[in-house]
Amino acid sequence: MTTTEGRRAPASSPAGTTPNAPRGAAWWLPASAVVLVATVLGAVTIGPVDLSVGDVWRSVATHVGLGGPLGLEPLGALPDGMVWELRLPRVLTAAAVGAGLAVCGVVMQSLTRNPLADPYLLGLSSGASLGAVLVLVAGLTVLLPVAAFGGAVAALAAALALAGAIGTITPTRTVLAGLAVSQLAAAATSFVIFWSATGDSYREILSWLMGSVAGATWASVAITGVAVLVLGTLLASTGSVLDAFTFGDTAAATLGVPVARVRWLLLVGVALLTGALVSQSGSIGFVGLILPHAVRLLTGARHRLLLPLSALCGASFLVWADTLARTVFAPREVPVGIVTAAIGAPVFALLLWRGRRIA
Amino acid sequence: MTTQTRTETRTAPRTEAPRRGDGPASADGLDAARVSWAAGERLVLDGVDVTAPKGAVTGLLGPNGSGKSTLLRVLAGAQPPARGADGDARVVFAGVDLLDQPRRRRARTLAFVEQEASTDLPVTVLDAVLLGRIPHRPLLAGDSAHDRAVARRALADVGAQHLADREVTTLSGGERQRVHMARALAQEPALILLDEPTNHLDVAAQLDALHVVRGLADRGVTVLAALHDLQLAAQHCDHVVLLSDGRVVAAGSVHDVLVPDVLDPVYGVRTEVLTHPRTGRPVLTFTRAG
Amino acid sequence: MPRPTRAAAPGAALFALSLAVLAGCAQDPAPDAAPSAAPDDSHGTAYPLTLDNCGVETTVEAAPQRVVTIKSSTTEMLLALGLGDRIVGTAFLDGPVPDTLADAAADVPAVAEPMAEQAPGAEAVLGLEPDLVYAGWESNLTADGAGDRDTLAKLGVATYVSPAACKAPEHMPDPLTFDDVFAEIAEVGEVFDAGEAAGALVAEQRDALASVTPDDRGLTALWFSSGDDIPYVGAGIGAPQMIMDAVGLENVAGDVHDTWTSFSWEQAIDADPDVIVLVDATWNSAEQKIRRLESHPATARMTAVREGRYLTVPFPASEAGVRNVDAVVDLADQLDELRLEAGEAQDR
Repeated sequence: MTTTEGRRAPASSPAGTTPNAPRGAAWWLPASAVVLVATVLGAVTIGPVDLSVGDVWRSVATHVGLGGPLGLEPLGALPDGMVWELRLPRVLTAAAVGAGLAVCGVVMQSLTRNPLADPYLLGLSSGASLGAVLVLVAGLTVLLPVAAFGGAVAALAAALALAGAIGTITPTRTVLAGLAVSQLAAAATSFVIFWSATGDSYREILSWLMGSVAGATWASVAITGVAVLVLGTLLASTGSVLDAFTFGDTAAATLGVPVARVRWLLLVGVALLTGALVSQSGSIGFVGLILPHAVRLLTGARHRLLLPLSALCGASFLVWADTLARTVFAPREVPVGIVTAAIGAPVFALLLWRGRRIA
Repeated sequence: MTTQTRTETRTAPRTEAPRRGDGPASADGLDAARVSWAAGERLVLDGVDVTAPKGAVTGLLGPNGSGKSTLLRVLAGAQPPARGADGDARVVFAGVDLLDQPRRRRARTLAFVEQEASTDLPVTVLDAVLLGRIPHRPLLAGDSAHDRAVARRALADVGAQHLADREVTTLSGGERQRVHMARALAQEPALILLDEPTNHLDVAAQLDALHVVRGLADRGVTVLAALHDLQLAAQHCDHVVLLSDGRVVAAGSVHDVLVPDVLDPVYGVRTEVLTHPRTGRPVLTFTRAG
Repeated sequence: MPRPTRAAAPGAALFALSLAVLAGCAQDPAPDAAPSAAPDDSHGTAYPLTLDNCGVETTVEAAPQRVVTIKSSTTEMLLALGLGDRIVGTAFLDGPVPDTLADAAADVPAVAEPMAEQAPGAEAVLGLEPDLVYAGWESNLTADGAGDRDTLAKLGVATYVSPAACKAPEHMPDPLTFDDVFAEIAEVGEVFDAGEAAGALVAEQRDALASVTPDDRGLTALWFSSGDDIPYVGAGIGAPQMIMDAVGLENVAGDVHDTWTSFSWEQAIDADPDVIVLVDATWNSAEQKIRRLESHPATARMTAVREGRYLTVPFPASEAGVRNVDAVVDLADQLDELRLEAGEAQDR
């Protein structure tokens, strides 16, 4: 009696009945989960230094504790360090950041009913950048994550306060207030850079502003991973609620959704998650803006599918982008934010072109 | 800021405006009292009392700016009423004050069809109608087979079942209006509020919409619809409430309210009323005043 | 040539004076073409002197008396040539002057109080009424910086960029060698009519350089200039490579055809250099670099990090200038003190 049942992928929306989305949706989630796992496995074996796949797996297996049971000899300290301390944390952080940014992008676009919204809309990225740059210029690099996170949250508070001061908080007002805060923070950031960046410290700042996971450690994995698993899952489970906003606030209210409260909670959730991600990776652009559209073009607008699918696709996308960032110009490395922008724009144009011919 | 509820019209003598509904079923219908709403300094609704009997089609009439849309939105719970000097507003339906109810419970009883509701997202018609099932299932759950069955039946009721897989953005105005109505029907409401359901529709579509509305009333749903077209109201409504400047100036049957003495001062026109030979309902024509 | 009236008087006087000097020297008064190789330093310079500097034709009418120097490399060049009294303004200094020049610097107020921490604005520069702006980076001489070269030339201010810093491929030294550095010293001597001092300095530096025997143990090195997540290192054709060649270190990033380059830690770890050269800058000190290397679990495993095999070089000495030879001598001494054995770090 029910429609085609697909295997539910792990870490997807809470157990419920099969969704009735068009275009063969049932297999999208498991398929993209498989792609993500393959991507992570593949990316760890790719890098500017030639390490064999066997060596990479030897290293991982040893750390995971399978070395003894499988009788594997551990890798030498240096290659092992390359795999376990450089590549693996970096790939996992990229996956977490990509997933988190994509989910935040979906929520922001639906909440503000604005297809150009992204996780950084309410000044989150500009605020984080300002916090980060202040700390970088002062030489207190160790405080960078805290300052970035604090900056993001402060920017959100400022945007909401500004929107609220004008009148009732509507999506348009929120977007405009966020724009104002963004511009202000960006101007302040530029000023700080211009005024105090000496020698070639601007390179570090630029790298942060463009977004990079090059410095990821296991601590980054922990922070971003926990943030995505906790906040990201929470956000991703609000599918039905976000659906209710499809036709506007009034429709949502008359469907029984407490509009103002939900909006606040979702915005705070997005701000916290984005702040955590940005504190580790800088403001990687494009993922939160375009991934939701791309996934929507493939599978439609139902949020129960869109949210988890965007997370999985965002994770894979960013892992691939980072892999390119560290191999294409080897031995040089570019910040991944450049790659996401460079790849993403043509890919999105392609998807738009395809989408035009579908219904 | 609110003043005493008044039912005086501006100039000519007016007909008696019955306070409570005509029929015997008013206790089960909608009974709203002292509804006020202000936009900043401006009082948009001034202590409005409205009753709509169960199983009947009640029309909410009035010129532009009289507060019809606002009234419906307040009744629907989309906007909270302002505190009145006479006391708080009361929106009683089937013996329960809707304003005191938790939102989700209210959403299971009351559905609201807005004048304009649009989206840019690639939502299918069936998905749009399924939104109406949200109040009936846990907030984070998905649709069940029952939900889908109700949705399809709602689409059939409005004659749009063939549109189920189309994207809402590709529909015409009339088709979209039907989809929104189907979404309201999917909520399985006992009370349905409609804001200008016949706007932007051609004649056939208008009649279709009102036919659906009549069907609902016949099934025992309480219907309150804002209409700008007095002729349509005359033809299809069982009861009408006339608003002007945020106040009720008349309420009752179409024969009592749709008369020149009442309409002329409110609309600023000269009305002539004929009687339809077959249905017995008023037929209205208007000429410029003065 | 159009000049602002306020500069006309001293300019004209200088011009007349130098002509008289030249006449007195019984030197051939024909204006020189563009000499940029080592000139005959026993004679004075023939003015006006026209040079091809980074592809821009620059004319110096007379030995400059009022010079604005931008960056430490140029400032120190003039101090080393005993021309400190000509400096009226300095900017964008990269660190304190070396001890050997401290006395000379003490007499120059402009060095103790630079005009600006970064490239100064054109108006501020012109306010000092210079006749030459001597810049260490080509990018210092743009409209946003000290002024566009053509504009300044029209205003009667000659401009001179350190030739090693030319960015255009046809003018960039590829690779940079000590001959290039010495040629610059000689050319500056010519510009300022300080040929004797330049010749003496070059001879002194050549001797010092010759006294260093490049290490022949085949040790590899990483020239860590700046950067945290993405390191910025000395690459194959710039000053870092030149210095490392003289010291006898093989640059792990030497294959990259650039002066400096962004690198990846992965490659650095893979190369596992025998020593790491740390550039000590006021904004990014050697200590900070060591902390970074030791705190990251991947780089901490590098042999050089575990055994503390660091060589330190101050930032101003890492750009082409008068301090490169000192850097070579100093790094060679530091390398000796590490007492490494050949091939020690070849295995992981």
